[in-house]
Amino acid sequence: MNKLTGLFFGVFLLFGLSWLALAAYPYITFAGLQQNKDEATGALAPPGNPGTADQGARVYAANGCFYCHSQYVRDKNEGSDIDRKWGKRRTVARDYMFDRAVFLGTSRLGADLTNAGDRQTDPQWFYRVLYNPRATTPESVMPAYRWLFRTQEIQGQPSANAVKLEGTDTPSPGHEVVPTAEGKALVDYLLSLKKNYPLPEAPEPTE
Amino acid sequence: MEQSAISEPETRSEPVKERSDPSIIDRSVRIPVLIFLASGVFWLVVASGFWLLASSQIHTPAAWWTFPGVAWLSFGRAYPAFLNCFVYGWATCAGIGVGIWLLARFSRVPLRDPLFPILSAATWNIGIAVGVLSVLAGATTGKQMLEFPSYVAFIVLLAFVIVGVWALTIFWARKPGPTYVSQWYILGAFFWFSWMYATANILLNVASAPGPAQPAIGWWYIGSLIDLWLTPIALGTAYYLIPKLVGRPIYSYKLALFGFWSLALLGGWTGMAHLIGGPLPAWMITASIVARVLMIFPVLAVAANFHLTMTGKFEDLHWSPALRFAVIGAMAYTAYGFEGSLISTRTIAQITQFTFVTFGHAQLGLFGFYSMILFGAFYYIVPRLLDRRWLSPGFITAHFWLSVVGIGLLLFDLTMGGLIQGFGLQDPQVSMSAVSDLLWPFLLIQNFAVLLLVLANLAFAVAFALILLISAPVKQRSAVIEASADASEKIAPEVSIA
Repeated sequence: MNKLTGLFFGVFLLFGLSWLALAAYPYITFAGLQQNKDEATGALAPPGNPGTADQGARVYAANGCFYCHSQYVRDKNEGSDIDRKWGKRRTVARDYMFDRAVFLGTSRLGADLTNAGDRQTDPQWFYRVLYNPRATTPESVMPAYRWLFRTQEIQGQPSANAVKLEGTDTPSPGHEVVPTAEGKALVDYLLSLKKNYPLPEAPEPTE
Repeated sequence: MEQSAISEPETRSEPVKERSDPSIIDRSVRIPVLIFLASGVFWLVVASGFWLLASSQIHTPAAWWTFPGVAWLSFGRAYPAFLNCFVYGWATCAGIGVGIWLLARFSRVPLRDPLFPILSAATWNIGIAVGVLSVLAGATTGKQMLEFPSYVAFIVLLAFVIVGVWALTIFWARKPGPTYVSQWYILGAFFWFSWMYATANILLNVASAPGPAQPAIGWWYIGSLIDLWLTPIALGTAYYLIPKLVGRPIYSYKLALFGFWSLALLGGWTGMAHLIGGPLPAWMITASIVARVLMIFPVLAVAANFHLTMTGKFEDLHWSPALRFAVIGAMAYTAYGFEGSLISTRTIAQITQFTFVTFGHAQLGLFGFYSMILFGAFYYIVPRLLDRRWLSPGFITAHFWLSVVGIGLLLFDLTMGGLIQGFGLQDPQVSMSAVSDLLWPFLLIQNFAVLLLVLANLAFAVAFALILLISAPVKQRSAVIEASADASEKIAPEVSIA
């Protein structure tokens, strides 16, 4: 029976080591992260997310955006991320301290979205891409997300957030394409993706 | 000739003194094991559908079959539906079924209380069905391989704990005698899976882990899922099948021991090697890279052991489909281990990270290694459970060759395409759309390779349905089955450890 007891202890202890180090330890230690206060300006970094972002993150998850888009920037010596202007610096643990859901991702069939809200500040751009990716980039392999929009009759004035569509996507006269609540939440979330503020532990690389 | 091609090799044996008729044991586990195996085949077919859909959407994003207006058929939902059906539906159901069959065999006692595993199988199937529907409906957690919402995870965990505890009681009730390395692998796997699945779901989806901890826990889980659930189940199965089917004990007892313990030590550490350059403390990622590279040792131990056991017996591959699948699966494990170590080094990961190389690698593990060994186990176990013969050598041959050609083509294609993608991504002058352009032909071939694998799965499902529904029971347990079963009890199928 001795060897069997040894087996059970061994099986328990060896896996327990990785459990302690890679599951329990991060859970505890990352809960204690603090914002960084800039000595000169008093600005806090990371600044925190707008309340609307959480709902949009759920839409991001539901439609599997993270199977093709990553959300982290590697340092200059680990890849071309910074040269591709996906971020000014690498991202570190503290960047994600306010995110309710973190989507690092493992594939880059699409562009990295760590700083999507810094690169594009116009919600219309995101709406057009989500409605028809090929309208903005003909070679895009991204699927269209038409269920995040609805076509409706224009009542009086056109809606403020009606999507400006061209070509065959143009709705019939008297109609407009507007984002649903989910579509709007998703774009709000994408616009909130900004991690270019300075952090001491991740200085911008000098050329 | 047709018949002999699908029956297991015969091994002559002298009468065994202390006999416990394996057919009685088989009969006592028949219903629960069959339910798990049949559930596995069912989910494999469902997974195949989503696999074919997702792989055909990815290369032609404007085609009608991308269903731009139908959320639940879109790529972003079909792809996780495929992965979850495949891993939790097919791989895990089949793994549980084969695992409890092996434990019962090794214990050499007929089972009691088969109601518990039946209950577990029913619960498990409900869990997977609700989980996949949730994924399709968009009610996901957004964590890879943990997409099922927490209430589904609870159902799944409950089902697993029931069958896990029951499996432990089989082991407890075993007849005195040696324990085998297969038992270690399988019991370890049952234990590890309950632990990792409970931890990951509780920390991520119930106790909402802080943002930066989520990828750490998530990848700890994925690494463990592959290396401490799927891998030990498949290795435990292969450690039974290969020595048994060639009719000689496993070559080295010490190597088997070493392989088991080094896997147990390293298995929980491998996941984060997928996040090189990611926003986690450097020591975590470095430790994971080291673990992934060191993983070469358990892989080599297993490979050497199987190879030396097989030496001079390779012609047996011709006779036994079970052996053919198991040996190809074991070879794929070696390739998988080598590739895993290679693409985890920082230099190579710079190119391969984020590319289709990693997808090809994952498929080599999930299909080439795990599923092939489990297919082999099906070909061995199902006739013994049912006292029937496989009806259709044509389907089995088709299953084998479509699988081998399909996974080979898929691996080659995704690796080549992924390398081109990786070099493209590495050069900031190459635009993202230029990279997609370069990838296009590879994505097309990928679709074809997936089609071959889907056809292989369907051939397997048909063969399984035929033996289950049509094949007439062998009136008397055939001499071949009887003899090989006797032989199996006599020739130690593997090393005794305790």
